[in-house]
Amino acid sequence: MENLASASSTSLDNSSSDFAILDVRNISVSFGGVRPVQDVSFKISENSFTSVIGPNGAGKTSLFNLISGMNKVSAGEIIFRQQAIQAIHPHKIAQKGLIRTFQGAKIIKRLTVAENLMMAVQGNPGDNLSGFLRIRARRDFEAQARAEAMRRLDQVGLTKFADEYAGILSGGQRKLLDLSRALMAKPSLLLLDEPFAGVNPTLVEKLIMVLGELRKEKSMTFLLIEHDLETVMNISDRVIVMADGKIIADGLPGAIYENEVVIDAYLGSRRKEIK
Amino acid sequence: MDAFVQPGFWVFVLALAGIYGIFALGLQIQYGVGGIMNFGHVGMMAVSGYTIAVLVIKYQWSFWWAAFVGVVLAALLGALLGLTTLRLSGDYFAIASIAFAEITRYWILNTDSVTGGTQGTLAIPNPLGFGGYTNQPDLILTWISDRLYPIVGDEASRDMSMIFIVWPFLFLFIWIASKLQQTSWARVLRATREDDDVPRSLGKNVFRFRLQTLVIGSVFGGIAGVFWALQFALLAPEDFLRIVTFYGWMILILAGATRVKGLIIASIFFGFLYGSTRFLEFWPLSLLSSPERAYLRVFLIGFVIVLLMLKRPQGLFGKRQEMVLE
Repeated sequence: MENLASASSTSLDNSSSDFAILDVRNISVSFGGVRPVQDVSFKISENSFTSVIGPNGAGKTSLFNLISGMNKVSAGEIIFRQQAIQAIHPHKIAQKGLIRTFQGAKIIKRLTVAENLMMAVQGNPGDNLSGFLRIRARRDFEAQARAEAMRRLDQVGLTKFADEYAGILSGGQRKLLDLSRALMAKPSLLLLDEPFAGVNPTLVEKLIMVLGELRKEKSMTFLLIEHDLETVMNISDRVIVMADGKIIADGLPGAIYENEVVIDAYLGSRRKEIK
Repeated sequence: MDAFVQPGFWVFVLALAGIYGIFALGLQIQYGVGGIMNFGHVGMMAVSGYTIAVLVIKYQWSFWWAAFVGVVLAALLGALLGLTTLRLSGDYFAIASIAFAEITRYWILNTDSVTGGTQGTLAIPNPLGFGGYTNQPDLILTWISDRLYPIVGDEASRDMSMIFIVWPFLFLFIWIASKLQQTSWARVLRATREDDDVPRSLGKNVFRFRLQTLVIGSVFGGIAGVFWALQFALLAPEDFLRIVTFYGWMILILAGATRVKGLIIASIFFGFLYGSTRFLEFWPLSLLSSPERAYLRVFLIGFVIVLLMLKRPQGLFGKRQEMVLE
């Protein structure tokens, strides 16, 4: 693996703290004879924006599945906020503030758009049966959650669908809902799996702006999988490149763009398309 | 056709509908909200009903305490069923739940010294030489009957008194269930009905939610068992055949699985179907013997379920849009 970050670490330090919110240590996973992730290690600084790129089948989504606990590692350690999380249940990982979105934009079709968002709010007293009799606390919390959901929907232009079943949304709108829902959970680290695929370019720009604001205001950290290289280069302060389950390069966007190994394995002629 | 105009027929229909309404409410919470396909719900009814009979007859417990313990046991068995099998996906859980109910029934059938075995609760060994278990609640039923007599005359009956006990409970439970289904707890459950990964990735313990749903549904199954035991005052293993669970499913499908209030009309329809195949003897039913009419009931219930699936899968009160979203 080529570590290119050190070449211009000043730029990284400007945008993120030194504290590693996520420390992935030599993780591997195998399903039968297939090894989608092999001995992968990296650290993510708090308040940073890191992108993971690579060809299809490189192991990017598998990596997200391991970090979020959806699949368990065969070897290695994952440390999130100084706690090992590789062996704990995904819902407990999420409760610690590590939230993810899904490549295929998983939405709950038979909940309304607003309900999809409200479900993500953490600490709802109504989520526990013991809170059933705390009517006022539940009602107040729901009102706040609804207001927050409407704000999020306004950001992505879905307000008019708030009380419609989410199943009626188009593919791009589902992506927006998935992203908004993850933000509703107020994560400290958000894993975004191709959140902009199928979303119109104007809205992508707006979403990038929203993510930037969240990063500044809420000290949110982002780890993004994205195929649109222009977006990746514009938004990221660090890029990790994967191929065949391994990290083949890790560094600043500019350095990655010039890296021969990356050009051979992934960028190829697309490099010219990036301005 | 005489039976149709007999008040006694409709009183029976309503009493039965009330009990099955509570029974189906348990399934509604489990399937309509949580997507859990429980085909062994009758097991909960059997457990609470038999618990009452055994504790009252064999150990001379108070009926009320025995009923309480019966419902608690049904809830515990629901928890046991969930802890052991709830990690199975939809269809596999359904199969496991049938097995669970059948194990319960076979245990009742083959434990003569405790349950009376094939002869039912009349054969439960009793130091007092008496096989009934409804003495205490019968006092209340008689009290209600006495109050009804001046109003309805000879039509005042035990069945009619049962209506005055069961239906207020049914309305109360439906009210509680509809309030429960407006909570964020139910919202998470409705999400788990479609996808486990989403709620899990948002910090929701899907297994806990499902287990709670199964237990709550089992409590309603257990309460239905209490009323069943009270209504018939005699229990036998064949009262708790697999088909009884599907009576509940028919009510649920007819009501629309996600619509709790539809259970009222659907359970009355079922009560009518059940009562008419039991008591009505006009042509062409007169061509059939009593056991044959019981089979006709099973046929009709199957027919109604298939018809609903084809023509109105959302049930009478459900939203069709929910069924077609992809």
